[in-house]
Amino acid sequence: MTTFLAQLLNGLTIGSFYALVALGYSMVFGVMKLINFAHGDLFTLGAYLGFSILVGSAGALTGLCGPWVGIALALVVAAIGVAAAGLVVENLAYRPVYRAGRLPLVVSALGISIVIQNAVMVIWGPRYQSFPAALVPQTAFGTGDFRITALQLFILVFSLILMAAVWFLIEKTSFGIAVRAAALDRETATLLGINYRTVVRFIFILGPGLGGIAGVMVGAHYGRISFTMGWVYALKAFTATILGGIGNIPGAMLGGLVLGVLENLFSYYVSDSWTDVFVTLVLIIVLVFRPTGLLGERRADKV
Amino acid sequence: MKRTALLASFSLAALALSLSGCAKNADSKVLTIGLQAPISGQYAAEGQWARQSAETAASLINAKGGVEGMQIKIELADDAGNPKDSALAAQKLISKGVKLVVGSYGSGITIPAADLYDSKGVVSVGYGCTAVRLTMEKQRSNFFRTCGRDDTQSAFFAKVVEKLGAKRVAIMHDNSDYGKGVAEDAKKFLEPLVSAKKTEIIYYDAITPGNTDYTAAVQKLKTLKPDLWFYTSYYSEAGLLIKQARQAGLDCLFVGSNAVPNPEFVKIAGNAAVKGSLMLNEPMPQFLATPEATEFLDAYKKAYKEIPGSIWAVYAADGVNALVAAVKTAKSTDPAKVTTAMRALSGAKGITGELMFDDRGDRKNVPYQLYAYDDKGELSPYPLP
Repeated sequence: MTTFLAQLLNGLTIGSFYALVALGYSMVFGVMKLINFAHGDLFTLGAYLGFSILVGSAGALTGLCGPWVGIALALVVAAIGVAAAGLVVENLAYRPVYRAGRLPLVVSALGISIVIQNAVMVIWGPRYQSFPAALVPQTAFGTGDFRITALQLFILVFSLILMAAVWFLIEKTSFGIAVRAAALDRETATLLGINYRTVVRFIFILGPGLGGIAGVMVGAHYGRISFTMGWVYALKAFTATILGGIGNIPGAMLGGLVLGVLENLFSYYVSDSWTDVFVTLVLIIVLVFRPTGLLGERRADKV
Repeated sequence: MKRTALLASFSLAALALSLSGCAKNADSKVLTIGLQAPISGQYAAEGQWARQSAETAASLINAKGGVEGMQIKIELADDAGNPKDSALAAQKLISKGVKLVVGSYGSGITIPAADLYDSKGVVSVGYGCTAVRLTMEKQRSNFFRTCGRDDTQSAFFAKVVEKLGAKRVAIMHDNSDYGKGVAEDAKKFLEPLVSAKKTEIIYYDAITPGNTDYTAAVQKLKTLKPDLWFYTSYYSEAGLLIKQARQAGLDCLFVGSNAVPNPEFVKIAGNAAVKGSLMLNEPMPQFLATPEATEFLDAYKKAYKEIPGSIWAVYAADGVNALVAAVKTAKSTDPAKVTTAMRALSGAKGITGELMFDDRGDRKNVPYQLYAYDDKGELSPYPLP
């Protein structure tokens, strides 16, 4: 039983990474019907910004106040930095191309993704970087099969709080209503006085910001970062988004958590090398019975 | 009107750029040797060391007057550590008219490139590709390698298991050509021990490379209580695996195959996690004792402030040396003559020992050794009992 709980907990941790990244995809797609391919690379940028801050100034801070302060600073800087990067990406790669239609937008997204990835490689080098063990909190609890680090606990709790905050924002505030309205029908929303540009700017701040935070947490948890790390997470987060229902924000969070848990359980009880096969199979089965995803709304066919 | 002008200038620029790549190497005073290496991607460290090693070897030869009156120039092609880009890199070198190539790192990555080079009559010398199937699956007419071959390694592993008296052995790989090859050979060579009931293979499975979370696989391994855990694939995953294993409380002996031990592995895992683990490898750069090795390592250190992190990079330098020796013997840069000369090479002294190849292109006489990591993340030879 304890092993099952341990695997479940670990799956939730991985799942929360996927969920935070998936939120970015879902929000952008929901409002703009655009798959932001650069999102995975913004996640990578977050990890590297956190790394630089931790190794740079936070290193000194950590010496004074302990590793948690360093991590907190890294999270804040990464969130702000990547949010700013997200805005720049929107202005540079998407805004000039909106009028050209969907396909040029996709090409532009792929292009900016390559640019960011290679920029990270040029700035920080193509070799792996590691979050130094001395600058990351190392305390752990539990014995035997059930071992959890303080950092993992923090990641889990912090991610859940973030997701709850986003959910509250989207479902319960009037700005959230504006975002949902813009996602449902852009023209009617603008007719009703919702500023579409403001909504777009908002999602390009929140989505990448969350991705950046996820990046720092992944870097701190696993230790190793590389300029290609975004690709695998982006793919999994995208799968999570589809699983939960694309355009649906609670769906993205649920999809991420479910994906993480499934992956971990399959990997432990069956075999690690077959995990991707099984998880994709689950996705296909879900889509067969619920084409719009787990929480996706059933759209009536318009006649 | 403005649009057509823009379109015209773009196409003109594109044309100009593509033409600049077509300049043939018509200068007979320069011998271009291609180097295909993973400069970017997951094995970027190995690629950079290989490039630096090849450049050092070339500059040492050039300082002594070059070869046949020609100065050596290294033409780099980045294969990003994956088979698709490897084929592209090979194409790039071939279309530039390069006839002698050293490359690459990673057997699964070298195979498509080697096929392409062979089909165009280009001589290629692999330096970091030890899978048996590279030379045994089919006869390639112009392929050589300065590194050893994995069946030597797996046979050595079986000896290690026997000498250390490990009863419960776990073998883990990543489904790559190289990793799976070593794992299967290890299983094969352990068979006599298994049938004599001296040892038991309690785990034989693969992990998915490219992921960062292997805690589930590690937990599963932990429940099986192995005495010895043999990981047969690359350092990028090995570092994460051992780090997560030690965090989960899996303390058994970790043995890495020849793509695991290098400074990147220690960097990813941390000194505490790698302490005490054993590595199978061909002789490591810091333990090479030939005069050529001393000369090479000194020159490398002078240029780059440290010695190469792995032996594969040194093999890349020896690839350059082997090609140069062959050109000298054949007194020509014609690929067919160079190939014949390579097969017949004798008395050519390389950094890693004498450069001799058998009729399948494999390097002769490559020894395998056991190394151990201490608590500072440094390797030292580990004598078998």
